Amino acid sequence: MSGSKEVLNVGIDLGTSRSAVSASNGQQHVIESYVGWPVDMVARKVLKKDILIGDEAVANRAMVDLRRPLERGLIKEGSEKDITAVKEILNHLLKLVGVSKDKKAPTVRAVVGIPAEAMRVNKQHLRNALQGTVDSLMIVSEPFAVAYGLDALLNSLVIDIGAGTTDFCVMRGRLPTEEDQRTLTVAGDSIDELLLKLILQKYPDAQITVYMVRQWKEKHGFVGSAQQPVKVTAPIKGRPTPLDITDAMKTACESIVEPIAETLLDLLPRIEPEFQEQVRNSIILSGGTSQIAGLRKALQDSLEPLGGGAVKSVKNPVFDGADGGLAIALDALDSEWDQLT
Amino acid sequence: MDRLKRQILRQAVDENLSTIEGRRLESSASNVTTSGRPTLLRWALVPILAVVLVVVVWAARPPLESWQQASRKPPQSDPTARLATASHEVDLTDRLLFPVPRPMDMRAFPLEVRRILLDPGHGGDDHGTLGGALAEKTLTLDIAQRLAKLLEKDGLEVEMTRRDDRRISLKERAAQANAWQADLFVSIHINWLATRQVRGIETYYLGPTDDPRLIELARLENRQSGYRLAEMKPLLEEIYTDYLQGQSLQLAQRVQRSLFASLHKVNPQLKNRGVKTAPFVVLVSTEMPAILAEVSCLSNQEEEELLSRPYYRDHIAQALARGIRGYADDIHQIEEKGS
Ligand SMILES: Nc1ncnc2c1ncn2[C@@H]1O[C@H](COP(=O)(O)OP(=O)(O)OP(=O)(O)O)[C@@H](O)[C@H]1O
Ligand SMILES: [Mg+2]
Ligand SMILES: [Zn+2]
Repeated sequence: MSGSKEVLNVGIDLGTSRSAVSASNGQQHVIESYVGWPVDMVARKVLKKDILIGDEAVANRAMVDLRRPLERGLIKEGSEKDITAVKEILNHLLKLVGVSKDKKAPTVRAVVGIPAEAMRVNKQHLRNALQGTVDSLMIVSEPFAVAYGLDALLNSLVIDIGAGTTDFCVMRGRLPTEEDQRTLTVAGDSIDELLLKLILQKYPDAQITVYMVRQWKEKHGFVGSAQQPVKVTAPIKGRPTPLDITDAMKTACESIVEPIAETLLDLLPRIEPEFQEQVRNSIILSGGTSQIAGLRKALQDSLEPLGGGAVKSVKNPVFDGADGGLAIALDALDSEWDQLT
Repeated sequence: MDRLKRQILRQAVDENLSTIEGRRLESSASNVTTSGRPTLLRWALVPILAVVLVVVVWAARPPLESWQQASRKPPQSDPTARLATASHEVDLTDRLLFPVPRPMDMRAFPLEVRRILLDPGHGGDDHGTLGGALAEKTLTLDIAQRLAKLLEKDGLEVEMTRRDDRRISLKERAAQANAWQADLFVSIHINWLATRQVRGIETYYLGPTDDPRLIELARLENRQSGYRLAEMKPLLEEIYTDYLQGQSLQLAQRVQRSLFASLHKVNPQLKNRGVKTAPFVVLVSTEMPAILAEVSCLSNQEEEELLSRPYYRDHIAQALARGIRGYADDIHQIEEKGS
């Protein structure tokens, strides 16, 4: 029962690599989906904390047991630690939008979008895990939240290219079912790992990590022809050295194009013929990795064999999922929220 | 808001409600439980299943004098059907009146290892753990296929729970093993450890746990059987030390030793994480010696690199084959000595 208490609606995008929140009080925040526990007494003393979230956890990764709880099906095993980690992320996001644990706290209604894969296997675990952190909870698949927020519920196709996975979701005017969805495990992370390997092939002594490589990708990632050479600096034998990673960047970023295009070519012809053209012309790219320069164009070109189509990018890949969740939260009826406790 | 939006939103709400509902349904659907209980309670079935399982194995033994009474009861083949009946309670009553069972004498069994069911972990939309472009499901299938060839060359009959990329429930996997009357069940998995520096292999077999949560859950479940935990626990332990567990342990040790010995040569930093017990579902419901081997760690970058190379996967398959062969030979020797 909401009663006279104030209500705060929140939409949360619980991603493998980043999690975002949009709240009805206008607050929006994004954090890295990392949780870290100090590895030992010393680390705890140094960090003065029992648990670290987001950037802080990553920054201190040498001293913490670092987890991305939604990564690679981890939570599916139901490990206590991963469940706690998901809870911590959620609590942290709520704190960021101003939910405190005191008596005056508003009634919180949350729509949490999770990767489609997690939706298939972890829904129950997640619900158990998140139970109690908010007053009412609705869990939806991330691409569905995006589609809802963009009002693209009929005859469109959302491709959410995130960190761990690329999720395809055909919207045909109903809640997406298993057959409307596909998941590929090529996405941002697989680019990072390939990029790391390729750079090391060229510069075997370069002291680089996947975290450095990820930043370079976010800044300079591209597919197609290079606008300018990609040059970065990294230590080799301890000395900062300029590296030309243009070719490696191109190869790594392009590694996701073919699998995504193939999936498109497999998915589209399965749609009822009379709607195919419409869907082909409303393909929506979301997720952080969709920001790679030239990717949208490359995917649009890949539709040629089917007679062409239009691929659009969402305006705000960081918050589109959370905004979609918030829209759902606001649209749901009080009576529905009362059931979802 | 337009009608379509409202309609879809309603579907989303309903789906969530059914998840909430499912929490209750799930525990009652897996029988024994009839009232609404949290999902975790499923684990409480582990000891019960184990009891029933062993009771059935034991009931199926050649009738030695003191077992006669129990072997009147024909074993039922479907593990869930068994649970659904109250027969295990009766069996247990009988069982309690009997003298404490000694560890099984292997010679009582016309044992021979002929049929091996390989179980490549995960599949289909269940990728298992992932490392870069590598998915556990792909690696386990590849290794199982290599292993199958090796074992077949040795003249063993080999089947696989899956030969392609598809999802199969754990229950089905165990059911396949039971239906085919496999002599051994070997489930192949790749690990993922939070401490990513660690690379290691470990082999599991079904066994009791000290986890207080499981014990508490078992207590709740067992209440219905009319026994106190104090009576139940030693019973479980005795039975566990019995036939299946002992055999599974031997198999696990053989496989673990062989895996570690041969992989350590090419992967010197490898950790021997040893043989462990755990209540994995596939191990609970299989009616033959069964193990689950975590043959490598995708969480470790170097291991991931190694796993991407065919020769390393071949190495793993060879090691598994050696372990299985070693176990089969052990059995053979006991038999020969016995006869
Ligand atoms: N400007 C950019 N160019 C290219 N890639 C980017 C950019 N910004 C972020 N990324 C990448 O996007 C990914 C994160 O995207 P997103 O936040 O959508 O993922 P997620 O939702 O956490 O993951 P998933 O959907 O797999 O659960 C990371 O791989 C990150 O490196
Ligand atoms: Mg996402
Ligand atoms: Zn596994």
